[in-house]
Amino acid sequence: MSEQATDMLFDLTLEEEQRITRESMQRFAEVEMGSVSRSADEAAEAPAGFYDKTVELGFSLMPIPEDLGGVGMPRSPLSNMLNAEDLAAGDMSLAIGALTPLSFINAVLDNGTAAQIEKYLPRFVAEEFHAATIALMEPRATFDPNDLQTTAKKSGDGYLIKGTKSMVALGDSSELVLVIAELEGEGPAGFVIEQGTRGLTCTKEEYMGLRPLQLSRLVFADVEVSSADRLGHGEKKFDLQRLVDLGRIGLCAMSVGVCQQVLDYVIEYCNTRVAFDEPITNRQSVAFMIGDMATETEAMRMMVYRAASRAEQGLEFHKEAYLAHIQCAKYAMETGTNGVQLLGGHGFIRDHPVELWYRNLRAVGLLDGCVIV
Amino acid sequence: MKILVTAKRVVDANVNVRVLSDNSGVDINNVKMAVNPFDEIAIEEAVRIREAGNAEEVVVASIGPTQCKEQIRTALALGADRGIFVETDADIQPLAVAKLLKALVDKENPDLIILGKQAIDGDNIQTGQMLAALAGLPQATFASEILLADGEATVTREIDGGMETITVKTPAVITADLRLNEPRYASLPNIMKAKKKSIDTYTPEELGVDVTPRLTTLKVEPPSDRQAGVIVADVEELVDKLKNEAKVI
Repeated sequence: MSEQATDMLFDLTLEEEQRITRESMQRFAEVEMGSVSRSADEAAEAPAGFYDKTVELGFSLMPIPEDLGGVGMPRSPLSNMLNAEDLAAGDMSLAIGALTPLSFINAVLDNGTAAQIEKYLPRFVAEEFHAATIALMEPRATFDPNDLQTTAKKSGDGYLIKGTKSMVALGDSSELVLVIAELEGEGPAGFVIEQGTRGLTCTKEEYMGLRPLQLSRLVFADVEVSSADRLGHGEKKFDLQRLVDLGRIGLCAMSVGVCQQVLDYVIEYCNTRVAFDEPITNRQSVAFMIGDMATETEAMRMMVYRAASRAEQGLEFHKEAYLAHIQCAKYAMETGTNGVQLLGGHGFIRDHPVELWYRNLRAVGLLDGCVIV
Repeated sequence: MKILVTAKRVVDANVNVRVLSDNSGVDINNVKMAVNPFDEIAIEEAVRIREAGNAEEVVVASIGPTQCKEQIRTALALGADRGIFVETDADIQPLAVAKLLKALVDKENPDLIILGKQAIDGDNIQTGQMLAALAGLPQATFASEILLADGEATVTREIDGGMETITVKTPAVITADLRLNEPRYASLPNIMKAKKKSIDTYTPEELGVDVTPRLTTLKVEPPSDRQAGVIVADVEELVDKLKNEAKVI
């Protein structure tokens, strides 16, 4: 087999640890997240104590070095991706919220110096939840991560950050914010800023979906940041493309988890919903629609798994992540829409979860830099 | 103190099982398997006893085909310290399980044995009781609370019509009921730690136990489909229907 052919393949067999982890995550998702999904959406916030419960699962501990109190496991995009899929099956907003600190941690591990890792990460080994987030997106129609309008300008010993970021997960409760800005003459760079720093203001944004996630707008009005808080700090080059690609894998995995929920729900519903004296799945228009949803969801899953598998192996995965994102953005929305459609009038009723899934899945094509696996 | 617990491999509680077309049993091919939920409660209780400082070691046993190691590994991720796997492809019935566990009790000399009150596949509710009889140990079944002190276990039992509290001398066999505790979720760090824990493997022959089945399954049938219900106008009509149609009162 040629080398080219070999690296096209990937193995779908789970490691023993991954199997046990999936069982644990799936149960957590069902019991602790699925049960509060609706009430969290109504309240537009996570239930009290929810994020502390997620700390017990130990996501953040895993990649943090042992001498800082973590487990010091090698970073596994594949295992992180599986967690994202399984947790999102419980509730997508709460899943993103639970994994937002890990995204911050992963970005610091990828791009930070040893001193920065030691400075920012110890707080995440605590027993209670500490929020930290990444501010990448900007509020305009044609946002492109490679064309940032938030700028960083050299100023004395440090930098001045100016610009507006939007859709920042847990924006209001994060203690640390990794803001991605265009550094004059050098390209994109990451800066870690403490919440409450002068010139930084946060306001909650209102969206149709992901309501408990408290997506926020952060305005940076000439926020001062020291050069020590610039990720990489002269030692490493900040790799924005990798961050964006890993974020796409995470978000796409979540869309797979939600789409599978939609699919399982409509199959059960349509098999038991009787019209004209027979289950509506006996109608071709219904059966074909479900068949297409199952096919596309599986295609989404395979594309995300492949991108994650390549990332895990240290291979180039930009194209795979990009294609997976195109597939997921398109079919997550379509699956969400069809989920509502297949329930007919019932799809419009909030007693059924399909409208909630529909609203959340609309975000798959929009969010960037959220769930860094 | 050492605690022996079990982790039976059963069909996952969320799976809708189907009866095989020849009525010889249920189809478990390509079906998700899991630790028996009552065993999981037993494991959790043992781990909590150890965490409270009242035990040093939790040993988990499973009996069956090679794949049972998965359930042992899950139990290790939930906090058990060491595994024992009894490998056999034979159809293992409650008496054989009790005999195998008795052999393990002789080998390990645990101070407490906590099992699930029943497995959700066979629903036999026999193993714990048989083990206690074979090993000559006191038993406290259907436990919803366990308190340990001075070589005794005070156990609240869920019985028909209410609760009963009994005290047994340890070593003893306790079987776990649903309300004993709520099992934790295996955390990622503990799942990694489980990888390094040891599992000893035995065969029934090595343990000197004859596992030949004593019972024969004649036929397995699915429950009949539920009939559509009716809405009754008032209590009189309900009583009338129960009396004259359903003939249950």
